[in-house]
Order: sequence, then C-alpha cells, then structure tokens
Amino acid sequence: MKNLVPVILLGLLPAALLAQGQTIRRTPDGKPDFTGVWAGPGFTHRVGPGDTDTPQVTTYDPAKMAPFKPGGEAFMTRRVTGDPVKDDPTAACLPNGLTRQILSPYAQQWIQAPGQLVILYEYMHFFRVIPTDGRPHSKDVESTWMGDSVGKWEGDTLVIDTIGLKEWMMDATHDSKPDQLRIHSDQLHMIERLRYIDPTTVSYQVTIDDPRIFTAPWSQDFQMKLHPTWKIFEFV
Amino acid sequence: MVGGNMKTRPVLFVVSIVLASALPALAHHSFSAEYDAGKPISVTGVVKKVEWQNPHIWFYVEVKDAAGKTTTWGFSGGPPGMLARRGITRDVLKVGDVIKVEGFRAKDGSNNASGGNVTFADGRKVFAGAAEDVVPR
Repeated sequence: MKNLVPVILLGLLPAALLAQGQTIRRTPDGKPDFTGVWAGPGFTHRVGPGDTDTPQVTTYDPAKMAPFKPGGEAFMTRRVTGDPVKDDPTAACLPNGLTRQILSPYAQQWIQAPGQLVILYEYMHFFRVIPTDGRPHSKDVESTWMGDSVGKWEGDTLVIDTIGLKEWMMDATHDSKPDQLRIHSDQLHMIERLRYIDPTTVSYQVTIDDPRIFTAPWSQDFQMKLHPTWKIFEFV
Repeated sequence: MVGGNMKTRPVLFVVSIVLASALPALAHHSFSAEYDAGKPISVTGVVKKVEWQNPHIWFYVEVKDAAGKTTTWGFSGGPPGMLARRGITRDVLKVGDVIKVEGFRAKDGSNNASGGNVTFADGRKVFAGAAEDVVPR
C-alpha cells in the first residue's frame, strides 16, 4: 500500500492541474476531445516560436521493461543482418506497425466522433479507426501491422486495447544502437491510456503485455502535445 | 549549434530541378541501411539544385577541387514535414548559395550522402537531416 501512494498521487495530478481554472476541450457528449494535430511521443514537446517542436528518436526504455521469460531477451533483441530490408523494413516502404508507430517522429491527426476515434499518422499515411463504445475485440482477428484496437472510457481517460499484431519491430532501436533490432511477438497485447494533463498536453501511457518475451506487462509514460497551427503533410 | 538557429533566424531553401542521376537507392531512407556513420564527409561548394519533396529532400552541391575539377554531391535531408516542425521551410536554401555540408557517405560508394549540418557563408548553421539521422559532430 505504501508503494501505491505515489502512484495514486500521480494519478490525481492531472485532475489537480486542470482544477486550477484550466479546462480541456470536450465533445458534446462530455468526453475529453482529442481532435487536433499532435506531436506524439516522438517529439521533445519544447514548443518554440511559430508553433515549432523538435522530432526526436524515441525508443522503449529497457529500464521500464519487465523481467524476461527464458529466451525472451534473445527473441526480442536481434543482431542486424546487413540486409536493409530485414534490418529496417520501413526502408522498403513496409509499415512501422504498432508499437513502433506510436513513437514516430512525425505528426498525427486525431479526429474524434461519437463512438469512434480516427488517428491519421503522417508517417506513410497509416491510420487507425478505433471504436470507443466499449465493444470487445472482433472474433478471429487476423494479424496485421496495426492490429485490432478497441477503446473505452474510464472517466476522462481513454483506454485503447490492441491485439492481432504481427511479429514486427518494437521500435527504432537500430537508430541508437546500429547493431541491434528489437522485435515484439505476435502475442503482443498493447494498452494505451490517454488523458489530458493540461489543455494542450496529453499523458500517453503505453503498456506492453507480450507473454512470449516478458514475465509481466510493463508500462512507459510519454506525452503528446497539441499544435493548433499544424497540418499533416504527405509522406509516402 | 545544431538546428537551434532556425527558430530565431529562419533560413530559406528553394526548389529546383531534379537530377535524374542521383536518385536514392531506397524510397524511404533509413540511415543505418543507406549511410555509413563511420565515413563522415564535409564539402564546401555551390548549391546547384534542390528537391523539396517527400519522403526526403535532396540537394546537390557542386564542389571544385584544387585542380579545378568539379564533382557534384547529392545530399539526402529530412522529410519536408519533419523539417517544417522545426521551422525549416523550403525557402531555406537557394540555388547559388555557397554552403558547407557535413554528413555521412552512402554505403554504395556513390557521390550521395546524408545531409546533416549545413553551414552558410554568413555562419548560420542548420541541421537539415531527419530525426533518425546521425548528427555530424
């Protein structure tokens, strides 16, 4: 219980900040409105003159990861092969996929409608259409790069649950460690939790539950920043 | 300073004609796949052409050696959208500008390279690469 106190206090922080006279945008049904163009976790979020921001390579932090299952680390961490297409499939125009797409250093546009959220990723035009009415996952989900995502509201927090992902790159680790790749398995279950910290900043927590690799789910906290003047560009 | 000048002193890049002889080997550049971080290059020359297009801008610099022989180097920079987030627009670089470019050579041994730091004649410096590119030191 003692260890839970800081967690509980952190959980109350966004509400406390917003209680100081700050209000967030809400849709007519009273839900927080995430509509807008955002700099996701792949940016510094230091907003400069002209609504600028700085893209940066962002990766999942090994210090946040749960202990590995036997063989899990060897499954996840691979040596580069020298074949550009195997070492970074995006060089051959194949998708980032989830979980890597979340960390993309490109903008993303979110469009929220009653019962659904559409995310348009600038990077290679990928998109997600996520029902937010609390429905369960489809049966017989086919493995894809972006998976099957369903959403629900827990108060002002939007919780997005994703399964049905191909075995694919977890992040762009090779950009910081050129001899290594990180791969997630097709057993990955990912949970994203989004809530406003202030009127232009959203807390973006990613939970990775990959029982092929880890002994337990683990989470990493990121943020995304609203940029009112941005639009998404073509990137093919 | 890398990239910082651009927020306060925007520099301009200009679009010009495509050099068909210097097309990138892969549609999306992946630094580790295409460039060799162990082979830095630094050239100073005249901007001949600029392609401000996605997925990556390209700009071409004509370099003259002591014997008067000219060589054209093609540099791949960041995507237009990513550069715009940092306040770098297509007007930053003009044909005819004399610039120093620091980057890393292509693994295929061609006269292509990643275009990292660009320094202008007046000392202004911008980082023209993508976030995932290695930054020349």
